[in-house]
Amino acid sequence: MNLSLYLDSGTWVHLLDGRTKVVCLLMLFVLALIFSDPSYLLGLTVLVLFLIIRARALANLRKMWILLVLLFVYSTVLWPFFVQGQTTLAVLGNFVITMEGVAHGVGMGLRLDVFLMSGILLLSTTAIEDFAQALHQLGLPRSVGFALSLAFRWVPTLLGSVTTIVQAQRARGLDLASATILGKIRRYPPLVVPLIGHTLRQTNLLAMALESKGVGPGRGHRRAVGTKMHWRDYVTLMGMGVVLAFGIWLRMNGYGTLPSVG
Amino acid sequence: MKVPSSSWHPLRWVYDLSQVWRDTRQIVLVAQIAAIYAAILIPFKVGIPLIPGFAELRPANAIPIVASLLFGPAAAWGAGIGNMIADCFGTLGPASLFGFFGNFLLGYVPYLLWGNMGPLSSGEEPIVKSWRQGLEFVVVCLVASCICAATIGWGVELLGLLPFVLLAPLIFFNNVIMGLLLGPPLLLFLYPRVKRWGLRYVDLRSSGKFPGLRSDTQILADPSDQQTFGQEAIRDEPFISVRDLTFRYKDAERPVLSQLSLEINQGESVVLMGRSGSGKSTLCYAMNGLIPQFVAGQFSGSVKVDGKDSTRRHVWEQAGTVGMVFQDFETQLISTNVERELRYPLENGDPSLRPQDPETMTRRIQGTLRLVGLTGLEQRDPLTLSGGQRQRLVVGSVLVQEPAVVVMDQPMTDLDPAGRKRLIQLLHRLRREGMTLVLAEHDSEEALWADRICLLDQGKVAWAGPPRDLLGQPALATKYGIRPFPLAQCFSGLDLPTLPATVEEAWQLADEHGLRVDPPPELGPVQSHQKESKGSPLQGTSGFRLEQVSFVYEGGLQALKNFSVSVSEGEFVAVLGENGSGKSTFAKLLNGLLLPTEGRVLVEELDTKTASMSQLASLVGHVFQNPDHQIFAETVWNEVAFGPQNMGCPPEECQQRVAAALEAVGLCGAGEQDPFSLTKGERQRVAVASVLAARPRILIFDEPTTGLDAEESRRMMEMIKQFNRQGHTIIMITHTMWLAAEYATRCLLMKDGQLIGDGPTRGIFSDSALVESASLEVPALSRFTQRWGHTLLTVEEVRASLKRS
Repeated sequence: MNLSLYLDSGTWVHLLDGRTKVVCLLMLFVLALIFSDPSYLLGLTVLVLFLIIRARALANLRKMWILLVLLFVYSTVLWPFFVQGQTTLAVLGNFVITMEGVAHGVGMGLRLDVFLMSGILLLSTTAIEDFAQALHQLGLPRSVGFALSLAFRWVPTLLGSVTTIVQAQRARGLDLASATILGKIRRYPPLVVPLIGHTLRQTNLLAMALESKGVGPGRGHRRAVGTKMHWRDYVTLMGMGVVLAFGIWLRMNGYGTLPSVG
Repeated sequence: MKVPSSSWHPLRWVYDLSQVWRDTRQIVLVAQIAAIYAAILIPFKVGIPLIPGFAELRPANAIPIVASLLFGPAAAWGAGIGNMIADCFGTLGPASLFGFFGNFLLGYVPYLLWGNMGPLSSGEEPIVKSWRQGLEFVVVCLVASCICAATIGWGVELLGLLPFVLLAPLIFFNNVIMGLLLGPPLLLFLYPRVKRWGLRYVDLRSSGKFPGLRSDTQILADPSDQQTFGQEAIRDEPFISVRDLTFRYKDAERPVLSQLSLEINQGESVVLMGRSGSGKSTLCYAMNGLIPQFVAGQFSGSVKVDGKDSTRRHVWEQAGTVGMVFQDFETQLISTNVERELRYPLENGDPSLRPQDPETMTRRIQGTLRLVGLTGLEQRDPLTLSGGQRQRLVVGSVLVQEPAVVVMDQPMTDLDPAGRKRLIQLLHRLRREGMTLVLAEHDSEEALWADRICLLDQGKVAWAGPPRDLLGQPALATKYGIRPFPLAQCFSGLDLPTLPATVEEAWQLADEHGLRVDPPPELGPVQSHQKESKGSPLQGTSGFRLEQVSFVYEGGLQALKNFSVSVSEGEFVAVLGENGSGKSTFAKLLNGLLLPTEGRVLVEELDTKTASMSQLASLVGHVFQNPDHQIFAETVWNEVAFGPQNMGCPPEECQQRVAAALEAVGLCGAGEQDPFSLTKGERQRVAVASVLAARPRILIFDEPTTGLDAEESRRMMEMIKQFNRQGHTIIMITHTMWLAAEYATRCLLMKDGQLIGDGPTRGIFSDSALVESASLEVPALSRFTQRWGHTLLTVEEVRASLKRS
């Protein structure tokens, strides 16, 4: 069962070092955070969308588009109830809906989508192992990175086990279509207990297998052959650095933020 | 630095949380908790209904609380990382950082609070059986959920994404409701088992006497031995020297190994045999220090490999000397492609053994790939390889470190005949190259290649000698729970100077002594039953019928193509074929777990597309290969009653059915036992009973003897045969050809989702070419007798037919 978003391809985004991609992702996050004006955030959304298209990752965006639209609508509808401004649009009971509130909601919806789209871009172009390795090279402790990679590796295996467990219990007549809350609660132990029990039964064996391969805590989990940064990594980092610096300059000069939001 | 003893001291928290990363078992627990948490969270994060019926509610949020009370700080890391992983399936963003901390706290606070709340505390055991424990659980749940919700809610508002008052209450109420509803039953089920497996935080903490040694393991040292950890004397001894080894598992009444001594020379190949529980695996694990370092119990004696005491060095330090292959190869694969799997031990193993330059490393990896026959598959995900390829990859990941000894614990168990054949070829090659090999194995026919067999019994080496010396002693093999060599059994009692091990030797022996096979008329020549395109050759009262069935899995894999077969009531049918041939898909179509893409499946004239699951469950029982995939109840009785209860049986009838099912599988007195405390063979019988209790007329057994020794296998098969005599239709999926030969009356031969052979067992096995076209082998007995134009299936048949010319 392949749930990973990674799409194997040879685009220049794919060819970038994992560290470059993680740092660029953080820069995109910072850019999204410093602006609250919807027009600036819309520009950022377009930039990320362009990068997604260049990285041939539109398929993943299509997979997630409902989530992106829902979050945008959720933010746009709810924020006006909590953010006040000066230009009143409507009064709903005790709530005053203002133009500034709506603009803030739209901005925050776009910010949320920029975050998620940037994440999708990274995950579509970086294999899980390279992501974990990049985090390690950026300072994440080896053991933590190792546990992260192991867990990533086991998720599909576990989902396979869940499928078998569900089939084994259905074969004994377990009704999974029960609509009542009580029925749903009652059916969890037959599904969750074998899953956790079967997994935990293997804990000792897994640890034994790892140490038998020569992996010990505090000394192992290192990679002797680390990836090397290429010229394209430096160019990309510099390009993104310039965009970020320009963004910060704009923000410091009062651009990209909504006035009179309280 | 002195660590404060108070649970409320921040330095204590830092110490506890950092210790997790110093113990491999706790690192594995972190990864397991993270994987479980992520696997249940992903559907909610990305809105994909992965498993219908499993995830409409959000049960995942009970996991950090339950795990925290069981595993302590490891649960905190596991919950944080699990949430982060779930985000990596589509919702990664800055809020993931706050998600990490919120879930980290949800997995840490319960551990911190339980038993540390003064008068509110109910005791050490985190289970809810009394009102005090219930009250404590409620408080723990409320506080942990509140802290988690506040952390995430505050963080998300800080990022300007959603107002605190909207998100935090949602998280709080979801965590509290799920924690309170699911936490107590999960703890009730899991705590006793986790305690038994020694996985509680208190069990996993190192003893401090020995790095890595469990707190519940005791080493009874020889008083004259003053060596300390990491130092060992090299003496003039055999390459592997086991002396007076005694090991008693924690809570076991008797030691599994008792004063066992064994010497193995360099370059020697030794197969350890014996019934389940005779200590084969324990002895294997002692070779590289896994016992006593990883398994709780009482240890005495010494195990030395190349003059170095295995108990006095970390397991990971010995990887360059002793390579270990475990029975379950799935657990040993940790990378996402074949090349990385082999590179991993080189990059992470002992630096002194590691190739210093990338070219040498690559050369060594390529050499190993050639040796294990996986060249060209470097970029394949190990999960997409066949069972045999995966096992050889595991062997490769051991060989790539060039150890002096390779120890394998029952490596053939999960392999199909083709996989076994390739592995035995590899073992032959390693033996020729002078590698020292130690294998634990159940099947005598798989041990012929070795220099020596050691039979273990009562914790000692009961018999040791070349495999051929065991040929003439079938009684000895039987005595120690091993299936005797079938060909040798046929010739024993004929007063011959030697006995044959292989078919070729048997033919030669028959020629030399004027023996021929002349069976009684009822066992005479039969026709081949190669599948023809029109229908099944056997027709009768239909137990079930598949009509032109095709099945395509999501993703496009076609598992069955235009498959038609009809099985009458009361037949005993073996379904044969290599891995991936469609056997399991066929079985799952019978009870509606899968529905045909094309065609129809009729069970007693009921179409599986229109029948309900409970209707089908009462007609078709399916015993899965691994009993642990279905066992969940706290007692055997409740486990067996699960099926009838689902069918809506009244309590009295339910009682009767459970009692009858337990009696049928020979577990009458085990009703109140915890099924997890039973042996694999007993758990398999519980699984059979739980299916029998639904009183289905058709019983499907998927590899019913996997992992069982000869005695347990025989007991299981006799039980299945008894069900057949009582009128049940039996469908047995198996890789073990002699089981099909001995028990099944009809065989279905499958290849690439198609039925290529269907007929009486004797007829199918008479056509060697047909069987071999399915990548299978005709059993040795049948092949031997085919020289005289007959296909005999059992030792008794051959013995009755062997006559002097």
